[in-house]
Amino acid sequence: MSKLKAWLKHPRMPEPWKDPSYWKETGWAYLYLAPSLIILGIFVFYPFFSAFRLSLFKWSTVNPPGTFIGLANYHYIFHDKYFWRALVHTFVYVGASVPVTLALALLVANLLNKKLRFLSPARVSYFLAYITPVVAVSMVWRWMYNWHFGLLNHILGWFGVDLINWLGDPHYAMLALIILSVWRYVGYEAIILLAGLQSIDKMYYDAAMVDGASGFQVWRKITIPLLTPQIFFVFVISLIGSFKVFTEVHILFGGSSGPLRAAETLVYYIMSEGPLGGRWHMGRAAAASVVLFAIVFVFTLFQMTVTQKRVHYQ
Amino acid sequence: MRITKPLIAVLVGLMLFGLLATAQEQVSIHFLHAMKTTHSVYIDELVAQFMEEYPYITVTTEYGGSYGDVEQKVNAGIVAGNPPTVTQLYENAITPIVDALVPLGEHFTSLELADVIPGVLESATVNGIVYSMPWNKSIMILYYRKDLIETPPTTWQEFYDLAKELTVDLNEDEQIDRWGTILRPKNPENFLNLLHQVGGTLLNEDWTAATVNDAKGLQAMEYVASLIPYSIVGPEYESDYLAADQICMFISTSAGAKYNVSAAETIGAELGYALAPAGPENAGTMVQGANLVVLDRGQTEAQKEAGILFVKFMMRPQNLAYFCVNGNYMPPTYASLANKDWVTFVGEDEAKQVMTAAMAIGFGPLNHPAYSDFRYSMITRYEEVLLEASTPQQALDDLAADFEQYLE
Repeated sequence: MSKLKAWLKHPRMPEPWKDPSYWKETGWAYLYLAPSLIILGIFVFYPFFSAFRLSLFKWSTVNPPGTFIGLANYHYIFHDKYFWRALVHTFVYVGASVPVTLALALLVANLLNKKLRFLSPARVSYFLAYITPVVAVSMVWRWMYNWHFGLLNHILGWFGVDLINWLGDPHYAMLALIILSVWRYVGYEAIILLAGLQSIDKMYYDAAMVDGASGFQVWRKITIPLLTPQIFFVFVISLIGSFKVFTEVHILFGGSSGPLRAAETLVYYIMSEGPLGGRWHMGRAAAASVVLFAIVFVFTLFQMTVTQKRVHYQ
Repeated sequence: MRITKPLIAVLVGLMLFGLLATAQEQVSIHFLHAMKTTHSVYIDELVAQFMEEYPYITVTTEYGGSYGDVEQKVNAGIVAGNPPTVTQLYENAITPIVDALVPLGEHFTSLELADVIPGVLESATVNGIVYSMPWNKSIMILYYRKDLIETPPTTWQEFYDLAKELTVDLNEDEQIDRWGTILRPKNPENFLNLLHQVGGTLLNEDWTAATVNDAKGLQAMEYVASLIPYSIVGPEYESDYLAADQICMFISTSAGAKYNVSAAETIGAELGYALAPAGPENAGTMVQGANLVVLDRGQTEAQKEAGILFVKFMMRPQNLAYFCVNGNYMPPTYASLANKDWVTFVGEDEAKQVMTAAMAIGFGPLNHPAYSDFRYSMITRYEEVLLEASTPQQALDDLAADFEQYLE
């Protein structure tokens, strides 16, 4: 590989792959990489580039890929009010669920890091929410949100709260989705943050104690800065994942995107234009997915460049 | 004598050659369906009978999941060049792929086609060509609680008056505890029933303009809006609200009968059945369910012929009656409705008698290539009316605008 790098820096050097000793050194490396690259190529890269191509066609199942129409699919979606609504819904969902989940996860991780009884069962119970299949979780929450007989309204009733039509009222639909999402991912993020907390050297806390730092000062000046690698990782992963939410929406609202499409996210919009409901506007769906890719790419790039500087590695 | 043995050998050889030449080539076909185990056992029985009658044809059956799953697999199969030979699809899933289908109507006699209930055959027809055969169908009827309703409503006005009367606050806490009926936002089929009963249509005759927002469409949608105060508006199945003692009557598909009966038994009520209340023009309701198609792509001529024979076999009156009796579906042909097995099954059964009568006057969905888009918009606009986010006129105007866009 060093020969390849050297050639890339200085292209006038002889091509390394013409040297038999190059293959002796790196042949096995390529061989070990081959299976993964083949699978990635078939299931990731090919569909990825196909989506770009498909977005320029008016899809025909009978004569695929159909008729070339240039940017007409992009024109359609940018003039479709439901596309913009889906985009707004997605940003609302991401903007609410990601920071709330992270904040709660920090709190939970901090609690799990204390020397308390029944710590192991507590950790398992938090993580169970994440490892339980999302379809099962969503179905149970669908019943918990039932307007007249759901557990949530029953508990809220103890505090004098009137029945809330969580899944039938457009004002509450997105909130219902966010609550489910936060509940599901808090445990996963807490476990990662807990690992980070446990890796912080105790000497920093000892030194802070000697200097008379308060609990809040320790938290702000020592814990958070040294936890930034894990926070950054969790933030990036959850942000990317949140943009792709679909299954929870589909199951929670019984095969739809909620009352008056109030919880229709961008991925749900893409699926609705495509095979969901038998519409098969694959070109439009591909165009919307390209837009989604661009948004997530920009966000991730922003995260990498701006927030990366604030990450402190020990 | 010397030539006798060779002559006999030649004759025997010629005979064997003749037998081999006339023997049927073995054909294998693939039937992809959406029937779960409770129904697929009856399909397997019919398939076994078919293979007995046609020993050179092997039918491989496969449960492909829900109708949506089957549709996705068929579409993927068409693109990949290896779809199943015979499959079961909703009409709106058939119309966009007719170029990949065998026009089945050409393989049925005019008598056989005339035997199919007209409203149902119409929805199997695209540009004057019959591409599919109606198979497992259900019809919408009125279910009502006999403990609360003595005489079921027969007109729109009676239905409205009864729904109003039956909407009650049982414990006087100023909250409605039981509604007269139910309106499900994601089910625009109830609006389509009303539109048909008032003589309205979604599009004009040559499909060049939307007519859903004309006076008849408005009459249907305003009737829906008038029912809102006396209806529980919710996404769950009718049986869920029935089991919770929250509704008294509703118009729903015959396929859900056993769930509705079970729900009524939960609250100790007896369920009655009747034709849906009639509108100003007629009392017909929508026939729903799937059709059988034979794929033209990725099949040899022998497989296509075998597929056609299979569909014709499944459409025989006695076989349709067998499947419908056991699968709780409605026969889509007059001959199968008159079949002795079906007649015996209907017998004294009130529900089946009503369903049979409803089936004879049923209508199918609009068989336009963009019907999936139409329905998608109908769900949106219908829901806006039910959740009072839009007036009937505004919702219909928006719907017509959506349709015009799809027609372009």
